[in-house]
Amino acid sequence: MNQQHEQAREEAIGWAMRVADPDFGEWTALTRWLEADPLHAAAFEEALAAGDAADAALKAAPVPSALPVVSRPARRRIAGGLLAAAIIGAIGWTAFEHQAAPYTVATRPGETRTLRLEGATIALNGNSRITLDRHDPRRATLESGEALFDVRHDPDHPFRLTVGDAKLEDVGTRFDVTQDGRGLRVAVAEGAVLYNPDREAVRITAGAVLRERPGENQVMLGQIDPAGVGGWREGRLAFQSAPLATVAADLTRSLGVTIRAAPEVAARPFTGVIATHGDRVRLIADLGPLLDVKVREDHGSVLLTAKAMQPRS
Amino acid sequence: MGGGDPRAADGLQAVFLANRPALLRYVTARGGADAAEDVLHDLWLKLADARPGPVANPLSYLFRAAENLLRDRHRARRQAALRERAWTEASGPAAPGVSDAPSGERALIAREELARISAAIGALDERARAAFRLHRLEGMAQRAIAAALGVSLSTVESDLRRAYRAVLTAREGDDEA
Repeated sequence: MNQQHEQAREEAIGWAMRVADPDFGEWTALTRWLEADPLHAAAFEEALAAGDAADAALKAAPVPSALPVVSRPARRRIAGGLLAAAIIGAIGWTAFEHQAAPYTVATRPGETRTLRLEGATIALNGNSRITLDRHDPRRATLESGEALFDVRHDPDHPFRLTVGDAKLEDVGTRFDVTQDGRGLRVAVAEGAVLYNPDREAVRITAGAVLRERPGENQVMLGQIDPAGVGGWREGRLAFQSAPLATVAADLTRSLGVTIRAAPEVAARPFTGVIATHGDRVRLIADLGPLLDVKVREDHGSVLLTAKAMQPRS
Repeated sequence: MGGGDPRAADGLQAVFLANRPALLRYVTARGGADAAEDVLHDLWLKLADARPGPVANPLSYLFRAAENLLRDRHRARRQAALRERAWTEASGPAAPGVSDAPSGERALIAREELARISAAIGALDERARAAFRLHRLEGMAQRAIAAALGVSLSTVESDLRRAYRAVLTAREGDDEA
């Protein structure tokens, strides 16, 4: 490469870098630079194409994990500050795409975060991951975990949430959504939510919960206490005939400790409220009598199993 | 009430009309001389459809939108060129018996290039990789990246520059092969 090309390339890289900045405003200067030499436009195009290609490579690369296995020791220094910010570039197209400028926010187990968007407040529970759009605050995708949505209704711009294959549309709302290995759960505290407005269009009203389980082609509607919806934010988890598998998953998100229900107790129903504030070790020990199970700890995770002996009276 | 706030679009359209010459000059300088008028027309139509919300800096928004339209066109052209080349190679007489479908060939080219670029990015140090990722996928401003990584702005700039250079070199490897 001769010197002239080399210089054009270096300058083009500089412009490509700056133009990617969301606040870039030197369009006139860029125009002048492009006009100055016919090599510039081609070099700029190359630099932009390199950026595009890099996006594909970066997306294909393993994500620098912000959701480490529970209680993993601190990682290397540089990545540390980054992960603490908990805003990670995981999924999503770049700001170069029209309109959509997605970014992902993720929490570690036990960590919660509140996101304030225009017209909506989203509380993200632990071990959860949501993708939002900088250019469209009325759109979100819950990738996994749980979030509580407080949405100001706007009939012209309904708030739309994508969860797996399902779409939810708010009808003026406070609602909680969980997406994990056991499927989708939508609990509504106020107002109503439309489930798949273009297909089934099931209306979930306050005090109702919709459940969609993987591999089942029907959804179930049930009753909940609307006051308990999003209770995890205040350190209260309310359950109404919830299987222990669900209780365990909810506790995992809130406590930052992996809790699993053994197969023999996973389907057992539990009704009650668990306070997750306070001493974690005590709380875990108390799960035994509370859930009528045996609590076994190994390698920092907790397994709930059936009690070995029948209690005598 | 009818949807949206008509003033927002009118506002942008007014800014468009006032700055049309500057936009045209930019699109032309970007190498879109023959299609410059088309691009601006598309932009005008988009403004009428899109009804963007309040825009902090309308002129910057318009340049950005024009740039996006240009980029779509360039991408489409690159794809077409790649298809053309793949088809010529796959159907040329130089490789009898090798009857890979053009689409398969295309995928192979893309995969090889992707692998080269991934290797080039992987060869960067961790800080540069992190900065590049935040820059490309998060669309974070350089200043914000500097804050997130706890380094100076000039460090971020030189990290990003190295990353771009590495990807450009990896891509050039394609043409020399």
